[in-house]
Amino acid sequence: MILLEIYWSFVKVGFTSFGGLSMIPLISSEMISHGWMTAEEVSDIVAIAEMTPGPLGLNCATFAGMRAAGILGAFVANMGALSPTYTLCVAAAVFFEHFKENRRLGQIMTGVRPACVGLVAGVVIDLMLSNYVDGGAVSIPSLVLGLVDLVLLLKFHVSIPKVLMLSAVAGVIMFGVMGL
Amino acid sequence: MIAKLYLQFLKFGAFTFGGGWSIVAQMREIYVKSEKVLTDEELLDITSIGRSLPGTMIGNIAMFFGHRMAGFWGGIACMMGMITAPFVVLIAITSFYTAFQNNLWVASAMKGVRTAVAPVIISALMGMIKSAFKFPPCYAVAVAMFALYFFMRMSPVWLVVIGAFLGVLICEYYERSGKNDIA
Repeated sequence: MILLEIYWSFVKVGFTSFGGLSMIPLISSEMISHGWMTAEEVSDIVAIAEMTPGPLGLNCATFAGMRAAGILGAFVANMGALSPTYTLCVAAAVFFEHFKENRRLGQIMTGVRPACVGLVAGVVIDLMLSNYVDGGAVSIPSLVLGLVDLVLLLKFHVSIPKVLMLSAVAGVIMFGVMGL
Repeated sequence: MIAKLYLQFLKFGAFTFGGGWSIVAQMREIYVKSEKVLTDEELLDITSIGRSLPGTMIGNIAMFFGHRMAGFWGGIACMMGMITAPFVVLIAITSFYTAFQNNLWVASAMKGVRTAVAPVIISALMGMIKSAFKFPPCYAVAVAMFALYFFMRMSPVWLVVIGAFLGVLICEYYERSGKNDIA
């Protein structure tokens, strides 16, 4: 039953993700292992999710669920990704004072944060191998564009949606018009 | 009340680009400043709990706030309101993407966009690094998890669980040996 599979995949993603891009390694491994997306499509959804309203995790859920099983799949994926919200978070709301100063939660995060750094670093390399390599050889135009993007982001603090839009325009010119 | 919460969060959800912080700013504008049903301190508490629990930060914040205003169904109303607009937008975009994925111009644009994805994640990683290493062994956790993921291809689900477990061990060690003054 594909809907149940999608739901369960995103329950796993939801419960082991702690904010922002930390869910990318989880989404990437779940999607690719089920054959719901290719590595390139994972990159595309990250870009699309960053350019549209709403949190990255849910946007990925909608995209992946829709690709795998239509609108119902997208809905089920969202409900999976939100499962910590309607379980853990409800518990936290009920026992508010207890959660506010929870020592164990802080301890867990002390280990989860560096683990996420390691995982995200791994997924960056995965994505680079798929995005800057074309048919077994490094694609110089892609690599140059990527470096320009990195400088814009880190050095000039250009916002993420702007960098993505610029890259889209550059892509049309370089790969579409010039045929690089 | 439930309908009002749903509609308010529908609006918040439509205007969150990238991170979830803009929703917090919007909530502050309405609930703290104009309706005065929440204090700044309470909003901060809700935000920090929403952030530290697993899952989507703004989903958690919406649920938390809704629960406070109108119980469980209030929480559900806020959560569903928040996801409605992004859901509809993404359904439309996904259909478009699927239909035009192989069109030369769309494919070229996406090829360009793809080159920016690794840099975008690297810039986010820079932000994560700042708060990730509370104690020296945390560096070892990051390196070990990287190796297990990249070379051994272990599932990130397990690696996050292992990370959580190691976090407890590391903190207990530092707290018991009285070296927790860094924290």
